[in-house]
Amino acid sequence: MPRIYVHPLPVRIWHWINALGFVTMIVTGFQIRYIGLIDVMSFRTAVVVHNWIGFVLIANFFVWLLFYLFTDKITVYHPDLNPTRQFRRSIRQMWYYGYGIFKGEPNPHHISVYQKFNAMQGMTYQVIMLLLVPLQFYTGVLLWDVERFSGMIDLLGGVRVVDTAHVLIFIFFVAFIFIHPYLASLGHTRSAHFKAMLTGYEELE
Amino acid sequence: MTGTKFYADVITGATLALVVMVVLGVTSLTARAAERAVSKATQQCLDCHSVKGLEKKLANGETLALHVDGAAFAKSAHNLLGCAVCHADATLENHPPVKKKIASVRENSLAMQKVCSSCHADQFKEHEGSIHAALLREGNPVAPVCTDCHNPHAAVPKASYDVASGAPCSKCHGSVFEAYAGSVHGQARKQGRVEAPVCSTCHSAHDVKAAAGGEKIKDNCHACHSGALPAHQNWLPNAALHLKTISCAACHAPGVKRRVDLRLYDSAAQKRIAEKEGVPQFEMRARAIDTEGKGLNAIALQSLLREFSRDGMEGKAILRGRLEVDSGVEAHQLADKAKAVGQCETCHRAGSDPFQRVTISIAGPDGRLVRYGAQQEVLSSATSIDSIGGFYVIGGTRIKLLDMLVALALLVGVGVPIVHLTLGWLSRRYAKKIGGREDS
Repeated sequence: MPRIYVHPLPVRIWHWINALGFVTMIVTGFQIRYIGLIDVMSFRTAVVVHNWIGFVLIANFFVWLLFYLFTDKITVYHPDLNPTRQFRRSIRQMWYYGYGIFKGEPNPHHISVYQKFNAMQGMTYQVIMLLLVPLQFYTGVLLWDVERFSGMIDLLGGVRVVDTAHVLIFIFFVAFIFIHPYLASLGHTRSAHFKAMLTGYEELE
Repeated sequence: MTGTKFYADVITGATLALVVMVVLGVTSLTARAAERAVSKATQQCLDCHSVKGLEKKLANGETLALHVDGAAFAKSAHNLLGCAVCHADATLENHPPVKKKIASVRENSLAMQKVCSSCHADQFKEHEGSIHAALLREGNPVAPVCTDCHNPHAAVPKASYDVASGAPCSKCHGSVFEAYAGSVHGQARKQGRVEAPVCSTCHSAHDVKAAAGGEKIKDNCHACHSGALPAHQNWLPNAALHLKTISCAACHAPGVKRRVDLRLYDSAAQKRIAEKEGVPQFEMRARAIDTEGKGLNAIALQSLLREFSRDGMEGKAILRGRLEVDSGVEAHQLADKAKAVGQCETCHRAGSDPFQRVTISIAGPDGRLVRYGAQQEVLSSATSIDSIGGFYVIGGTRIKLLDMLVALALLVGVGVPIVHLTLGWLSRRYAKKIGGREDS
């Protein structure tokens, strides 16, 4: 089966650190919010781990950002400037996952080095990487030292407002952390995309 | 010869020593006599006023004690002044002042305050800004005046105060003093540790402020415990925030009842909203909104904030929360730091004890807080994002609506793959019927 190199090493390093980090952040986030209901670790340990991993993820985010800013691979995130085409492709992709896949229809998206994401995936990742993740880091840093950033927190409406934004994005990531690997398992084999994210090579059907 | 000289030297030495001892003794006795002596004019007054039981019946039926302990007065700092400096109206010609009408003991004390202020202007000025003076202005009949704390006829330097008995504060604040006496501070003082605080160390002697109203008490804690912040930073995440929004006693007086006090602030001026003197609106408005009398609920709290925001302040009325102990007595039950609350779970758990009691407060005209009860649900309602934006305790005051969304996210996250897998299995099973490939 022909293969193409779509996941360069920095992207793979970023991805797996991000994956482990986000799982840890979600587990510790649950522990922090639901102490008494969940008792995997002490509240203090959960907070300390959550803070440290948070900073690791911020640093890791810059690995992703700098790689795409300074290489031509940034095209994978380029939006389709034709909204009708973008809409049509997204609907086709949704139709595939919701119906066509069960009939054995082929995936309407064909991976290439500069277009590795399908229309729906590309749009979702742009929202995640350029909006939700930075916003989550920002609110997280504010909550890490509320007193130090009290001026900014007050400007945003108070600590409860900042925390609510942080929790709302957390809620999105809770759903994402299950759905993302499941969608990744819908390649031509269950493990195809996982292997690709380890080796860098996607097998072409 | 040598022996004779030796004995002569001994006799000379002994004589000299005797002379020195006699001179020192005489000087000391003279000094003490001078210290205790009162002037001739004072003695004239004491001739009558040192008689025990000397008193005067007042118009309201009270008895004004006129007896002065001569010995105590002789030792008093006021001895140097004599009687006439304070009692200038009592001259030999008109004394005893039969025509002088004193309405009550209280009125006499109030009148004498002015006399005190003529020498003790600084202390008087400090007192003028105190909660005691504010109570006095409000007409509180038991608000302390100078003579309630100080005996003008036995005025002693502050170092001579019997702090172990709590005097004079314990006269009015007996239960608070009892709590203090049993605390780590009171016990240390009993053991002779003079650096341990007494009442005036934290509350000051004359500029006494309403303790719950400001940051003065906390500042005073930090004045002695200057290493408190770095010590807390060693183990407590967001230590500065904890120290700012939680009263020291809430953690250092274990076993006490705690509550959340939500304080009204002007968002633009960043200042406490204060009740206007003579126009008490807070309680009136709160009562009007709280129709069932169960305490303000989330909607009522929003209405209250809107009403205050319409009062023409710079910004809008917002709430800032503070975790504190339930009473002044409990605030003094401070224990050794080994017994302090160190478990995060004490507060960061849903349904924790401190979040069962909630009050809304405004600064009263005398500096004391005017409080109104609120229902516990105000802390976990979705409207709290708007009304209590400035107060949130992770885990402890979490919003229920967000909990439901978390459950929904889990349901979607786990449910979508399960449903999709099930549909895939079903489609493979019935592939022929829907016209698909069996190996899809």
